[in-house]
Amino acid sequence: MPEHAQILPGNLDLLILKAVSLGPLYGYGILLRIEQISHGALLIEQGALYPALFRLVRQGLLKAHWDTSENNRRTKFYELTAAGRKRLREEEDGWNRLVAAIASALKAQPEGT
Amino acid sequence: VNIFSLLRTVVSALFHRSRIENEMEEEMRAHIQDRADALERSGLPRAEAERRARLEFGGYEKFKEEIREAEGTHFFETLIQDLRFGLRTLRKSPGFTAIAVLTLALGIGANTAIFTIANGLMLHTLAVRDPGQLVELLHHYPGEPEPGFNGFSWDAYQTIRDGNHVFSDLIVGSIKFFTVSADELKPQTVFGGDVGGTFFQALGVPAAAGRLIGPEDVHTGDHAPVAVVSWSFWKSRFDLDPGIIGKNIVVGDAPVTIIGVTQRGFYGLSREAQQDVWLPISLGPSPGWGFGLLARLKPGVSIEQARAEMAVLFQTVVNAPEAGPFVKEMKLRIEPAGDGVVTPVRQMLSTPLTVLMATVGLLLLLACANLAGLLLARGASRQHEMAVRVCLGAGRTRLLRQVLAESLLLSLLGCALGIFLAYFAAHALIRVFASGRFILGAPVHFEALTNPDAHVLLFTLAIALLTGLLCGAAPAVSASKTEPASALQQASHIGASKSRRLFGKGVVASQVALSLVLMSSAALFVEYLWHLRNRNLGFVRSELLLVTLDFGQSGYDAAQFSRLSQELVTRLDAIPGVSSATFSDMSPMLGPGASSFAFAEGHPEKQTQASINYVAPDYFETYGTPFLAGRDFSVRDQAGSSVAIINEAAARDCFGNEDPIGRHITLSHITMTKGEKTFEVVGVVGNAKYNDLQQPAPPTIYPYLFQQSFIGSQLAVRTRIDPGVIASAVRQTEAAVLKAVPIVRIMTMTDQIDSSIVPQRLIAMLSASFGALAVLLAVIGLYGLLAYTVAGRTHEIGVRMALGAAGTDVMRLVLRDTLWMVCAGLVFGAPLALWGRRIAASIIPDLPVGSPLPFLVAAVTMIAVGLIAAYLPTRRAMRVDPVVALRHE
Repeated sequence: MPEHAQILPGNLDLLILKAVSLGPLYGYGILLRIEQISHGALLIEQGALYPALFRLVRQGLLKAHWDTSENNRRTKFYELTAAGRKRLREEEDGWNRLVAAIASALKAQPEGT
Repeated sequence: VNIFSLLRTVVSALFHRSRIENEMEEEMRAHIQDRADALERSGLPRAEAERRARLEFGGYEKFKEEIREAEGTHFFETLIQDLRFGLRTLRKSPGFTAIAVLTLALGIGANTAIFTIANGLMLHTLAVRDPGQLVELLHHYPGEPEPGFNGFSWDAYQTIRDGNHVFSDLIVGSIKFFTVSADELKPQTVFGGDVGGTFFQALGVPAAAGRLIGPEDVHTGDHAPVAVVSWSFWKSRFDLDPGIIGKNIVVGDAPVTIIGVTQRGFYGLSREAQQDVWLPISLGPSPGWGFGLLARLKPGVSIEQARAEMAVLFQTVVNAPEAGPFVKEMKLRIEPAGDGVVTPVRQMLSTPLTVLMATVGLLLLLACANLAGLLLARGASRQHEMAVRVCLGAGRTRLLRQVLAESLLLSLLGCALGIFLAYFAAHALIRVFASGRFILGAPVHFEALTNPDAHVLLFTLAIALLTGLLCGAAPAVSASKTEPASALQQASHIGASKSRRLFGKGVVASQVALSLVLMSSAALFVEYLWHLRNRNLGFVRSELLLVTLDFGQSGYDAAQFSRLSQELVTRLDAIPGVSSATFSDMSPMLGPGASSFAFAEGHPEKQTQASINYVAPDYFETYGTPFLAGRDFSVRDQAGSSVAIINEAAARDCFGNEDPIGRHITLSHITMTKGEKTFEVVGVVGNAKYNDLQQPAPPTIYPYLFQQSFIGSQLAVRTRIDPGVIASAVRQTEAAVLKAVPIVRIMTMTDQIDSSIVPQRLIAMLSASFGALAVLLAVIGLYGLLAYTVAGRTHEIGVRMALGAAGTDVMRLVLRDTLWMVCAGLVFGAPLALWGRRIAASIIPDLPVGSPLPFLVAAVTMIAVGLIAAYLPTRRAMRVDPVVALRHE
């Protein structure tokens, strides 16, 4: 079992956007999708998903509608809006730049060894 | 922002909350069920699976709370919490709360009182069609106070009506007051007007009953045959009796038939002079300059265009061949009339209201600064509490909001008390207004000016909220910056923060600056009033009783008047305490009297504009105006040729250095008469003010009253004792001699002078009380703040004293600091005060702005106030035992 990494509050939004970008999903489905695409490496507090979803809808990055899930339960389905797609691209770029920069910084060797 | 739409948002958010919450719950429940399904599939029993799913989900309520917060309704819940908590803390320190609320109530109340009157007077549109298009035509002579009179000749009306391209309607209508009576109605004075045939149709006012005055009602007789009354008159006097149409009432002394009632809500041309009775105009043989003119601008025509065209057109009017020399000097003005025409009330009050609005605005700012200072000082002593709350997990925004909620609460309490105070203040003010000449005795609707309406309440609420935010901002920010660790450690070391101390000093300086502005303007206006009241008038104002008589119903002719008035004067003279009595056509400061152009014998090329007053013998003795040459009138003059006495200014203007006694003077174009009259000058008297305290005494001609064909209705009684004591004896004697002549009013000369300067008195009185209030607020504010800064330095003072500083050194140190703050305030306040004076001088002519006295008085007062406010806390600090102060650490 891979070691779990705690995610930072801001990163949850990015993960949700990414998960939903692959197709409309409901809350529990998003959780499963994140687990799947991160190969189970990320641990998410399940309840925290909902305030984040609510916020993203408020910001116009996601839109929601009521439908029935494959488990035959009525629940809300979320999908990306155009603004959400754009934000996702920006966040991905930003994240990649940050990771690359930190990675190169960590690769540096102490001088004179 | 519309307060109602805001309220709607709040209410709908509160109601929709249940829907949003239900959805949230359903969604989260589905999630937990999904998870439980998955756990069940992995082998757990259902009950255990559900328990685990719920556990994994985490704090259900916490997430709901987070969502609510994101949604915004949370704000109002915590606001209510904050307010409740605020109320509790305020109740715990009643002294602070009382001072803060009172400070704000005074500031807000003063603003509300003045705004109530300004709102009632100027911010109401007339109940007519398209009031914004209405303009009023006014004329005035150069040098006369603006805005002038609304009275034009019929010729002027026709010239303007036929020659203009800017008005869609030219409307004849003015405001007068009438005495109205009927069988079931006691005689009463109401406002009304003489209106042209198109008045109601052009204003767009329909009839509620009967028909309104039309072009066919314009008549040529002395008395109008028909009248229209207002709906409120119909309601209040006739109880909406449908039989009112065709009913006869008496207006003035002539019977008229009521033909109609105007639409409900229409009150004529002015809110404070609400009209109840309208008569059609008369185009009799000599209609004179009695037609008030209003006009409706054509759509798309601006008032500027109308002014430009009318300036040209009016030249045709004043240059008409039959126009007299007065008319040629007339200037025309056009003013918007959508919110009512110019009335004496409005003319009297608009300047004071402008000045007072500015003054109360400053007062409110001062109250704000004051409260900001107090809250800051209080905040310092609550640092420990704030630190504890931060440690216990209170968010910074939450602390900020908590402090703001407290200041808002204070301002709302102040607002409530302020509205209460304002109600009484507005009524007290109205009593002063009502004593003004021209409106004394008129049925002015003062309640229209004092009743606060929705505008006023919204205004007050808005300034209260603004005040709360303004004075709460600094303390709130400072509270939210609380650093728990350091604050807890140094809880005793209050007020140490440098920025906070600087802010405190800034607040002190700004209070001093604002108080300086208020005080110096108050001193300026008081000095102005003092000058006005103590001007040399040319007559003796004290111990002079003025009686206005109404000869209208008596039927006396001039001969009877002459005989009876002399009998009355003789009998009055016999009353103990009376030294002399006299009759005249006018009394000084009563209002504008007759005037004319005077030509001196031998100087036909020189014409002097002169005021006229017809006087009886002993007039000058009664008023205390000295004779410079010649003699007084005597009974023997009655049979002889026309004689007159002139004043020094008239003698100089007409005769130069020549001796005027025995020479003749000719008057032409005397107001309200035609033709010329020649008088022999028998005496010269000193100059005396005629109608205006501010203007120099005009050249004045006093023809002999008993040689005229009319009656002089002003009786003056000079007394040796308090004139008020004599009044009842005068009344009895008058009633005995002139049985059919009622007394309209009795007042002392001093009161009559005061009634001519109501605007100036108002400004002086109110700005003086606001100035005093400013000093009081400054004392409270400075004391509070200095107490706080000195308390903050207790430790420092302790160290200094431990190191050998004497008490006087410490005292000097603190006082020097205070002086610095006060002086900084004075330096900032001085240009503001000077600027304020310049503005005041541009609104009020004649203001003694050159005098440095008001300024000095204000500056010295502020320094004294500052030192006194600093002395008490310093003395307390000096008594501190150094050991105790140091042990605080």
